[in-house]
Amino acid sequence: MKAVISLIKKDYKLFFHDKPAVSLTFLVPAVLIFLFGSIFGGSSSAPTGIHIAFVNNSESKVAHKLESVLDTTKAFMLIKEFTNDEGKTVKFDTNSIKDYVRKGNVSAALVIPQDAFTDTSTGLRLKFYYDPKNEIEMQTIQGLMLQTIMSQMPNIFMASMQHRAETFLGKNKGMRFNRKIASVVSEYYGVDTSKILNWTKFSFSDSLVSDSASNKNNFFKDLLDLQKTQLVGQNVNNPNATRSVGGWAMMFLLFTITASSTSLFDENKSGVVVRILSSPISRVQILWGKYLYNISLGCIQLLVLFMTGYIFFGIDIFSNFINLILIIIAAAAASTSFGMLLAAFSKTSAQANGLGTFLILTMSAIGGAWFPTFILPHFIQILSKGTIVYWSMEGFLQVLWRNANTVEILPYVGVLLGITAVVNFISILQFKKGNVF
Amino acid sequence: MIEIKNITKKFPSVTALDNISLKINDKEFFGLLGPNGAGKSTLMNLLIGYLDADEGEITIDNEKVKRDNLLVRTKIGLVPQSIALYDDLSAFENLEIFGSFYGIKKRLLRAVIAENLNRVQLYDRRKDKVKNFSGGMKRRLNIAASLLHDPKLLLCDEPTVGVDPQSRNAIFDYLIQLNEEGKTIVYTTHYMEEAERLCSRIAIIDFGKIIAEGTLEKLLEKLPYEQTIIINKNHSTADKIELFKSFGNLLNEQEKYELKPFDHLKLSDFFRSMEENDISYQSIDLHKPTLEALFLHLTGRRLRD
Repeated sequence: MKAVISLIKKDYKLFFHDKPAVSLTFLVPAVLIFLFGSIFGGSSSAPTGIHIAFVNNSESKVAHKLESVLDTTKAFMLIKEFTNDEGKTVKFDTNSIKDYVRKGNVSAALVIPQDAFTDTSTGLRLKFYYDPKNEIEMQTIQGLMLQTIMSQMPNIFMASMQHRAETFLGKNKGMRFNRKIASVVSEYYGVDTSKILNWTKFSFSDSLVSDSASNKNNFFKDLLDLQKTQLVGQNVNNPNATRSVGGWAMMFLLFTITASSTSLFDENKSGVVVRILSSPISRVQILWGKYLYNISLGCIQLLVLFMTGYIFFGIDIFSNFINLILIIIAAAAASTSFGMLLAAFSKTSAQANGLGTFLILTMSAIGGAWFPTFILPHFIQILSKGTIVYWSMEGFLQVLWRNANTVEILPYVGVLLGITAVVNFISILQFKKGNVF
Repeated sequence: MIEIKNITKKFPSVTALDNISLKINDKEFFGLLGPNGAGKSTLMNLLIGYLDADEGEITIDNEKVKRDNLLVRTKIGLVPQSIALYDDLSAFENLEIFGSFYGIKKRLLRAVIAENLNRVQLYDRRKDKVKNFSGGMKRRLNIAASLLHDPKLLLCDEPTVGVDPQSRNAIFDYLIQLNEEGKTIVYTTHYMEEAERLCSRIAIIDFGKIIAEGTLEKLLEKLPYEQTIIINKNHSTADKIELFKSFGNLLNEQEKYELKPFDHLKLSDFFRSMEENDISYQSIDLHKPTLEALFLHLTGRRLRD
């Protein structure tokens, strides 16, 4: 038994000296459990603060009531203004709000039109503009939006019922009917008649006086008429594949580049680096060689993966090919800088690969490769914008989903190249300390 | 000519080289002998410009060797201590890669590779992956990889570690041939037999300092005796250790005693004493002393301790 205990002790000792193994055993699962827990359970069961562009063109009380409800609900954060081309902050109108969605600033916009609830209305009419670049996000937004609006429906329903009664019976007969009903209720329940009448009129009664001949056969439909208009991606061949290809491609790219960058350790260990440095080649040239090789490998890998998407799922990669290439180059450069950073700060190949696996899975999870970022806790959404995965995915979506032009993708290319420059600068400083060679 | 002037190299926990000076002449086969950790590999790394010295200067043909002087490296070929090859590539592919670093044109490079593979008897295996080679074959390819640009100076950092005797001899013959063809060779080893066999001049290094330098003969002259006495163990030598010690420093090995005689010992006195103690002459051999003995004499330690 002592021998077995000694063997167990030996294995534990070896295990705890193997930092990558410890990290992959405890840290990686713990972080992923936290992320998945945050999404599918945990402390908050519903997403909050989803940004939605909003404009209310109606003067009706119903519209103002709905705006105030949406303003106060935790699920949404209404954006009512934007910065125009002249740099001025202005309120949305129906056209500018659509442009705002088309440009990818938000995934959805709600417009309460001028005639949302008029004297002739029997229900509420709303316009919903959306960009389903992420299907889960869109379904969630629509679900939450309907939930919020429907919570106000009893009021609208009551007013509509009253309006219907008046429509069928005529205004005077209807009013008499209401008063009769109110007096009966008052008699049996001891409530003041005027209160009952005010309640049934509710706050919208002023808009229910006119006659409406339309929609008598479709009452519930008329109660909420949400007119949905997809603004982006209508012509995308295979929406699901187009949405997801970028995220998965980025995750595998990061794994490839990390393995390739950390091969420096193996070359150093085998003595190849010393042999190379004994020839007329400098350390800087070795790093450049490795760096440019990894970028080109990354570009080839991404191209192959997108080609695979084209062949098997019909993803249209050719109609905006030049811009796709620009994003691919920027994403490959940023991923390579990440790999070089790992190599610069790690002491061994195993350490670099362990740390790399942890960071890649985390970045993929919070960057949106696995699920939309809007369902993550707010602070993780902020962190996600610091990841290569997020900006690469958004860049790919701009190109493949939104068919963005070169000017429109420049911010994404810029951020990725900015990350590349900063990370490379840090790596070079670390390489100069001579951890690798 | 290589000139190493007052070189000092310190690492955080150790001074690897402490004010070393050496001159190595053209076409010389120079040995750097010392135990593991003596500073041999550090000196090699300084000679190829992989490291910069903290103090002092190294020149090859009056050209300074430094990390940022790439041109001087064209004169140097390094045979690293480890087998610095890509295992998953063929012998030919490996040489193609390492040759390309010297800007040799493709057609010429192919011819040079073929010639070098022939010289190390690996041409027939040129398409085989290195991982399928024996240790000796890998070592030979390791040398060939450092000769593609026809360097004037070949630095061999313990190039026979882990090699069987037959392959070791083949490597020795090849290095001797290269030296005869005019290449200067600097050879580090902790095997005194290798230094004795190959090197025309030897520097013994220990704890980062050169403790002796010269030809083998000159070095051995530093010993206070001319011959080492080997006493083979048998029943007659069993309890004679104190007797042997009265004649010199005694090394008690598994099957023999090795006696380094005290200064001015007369061999006739020693043999007379052996006869008086019934130890037969057949148990005793006289050997020319080795660098091992010199190292022991100079440091009080054995070379491989």
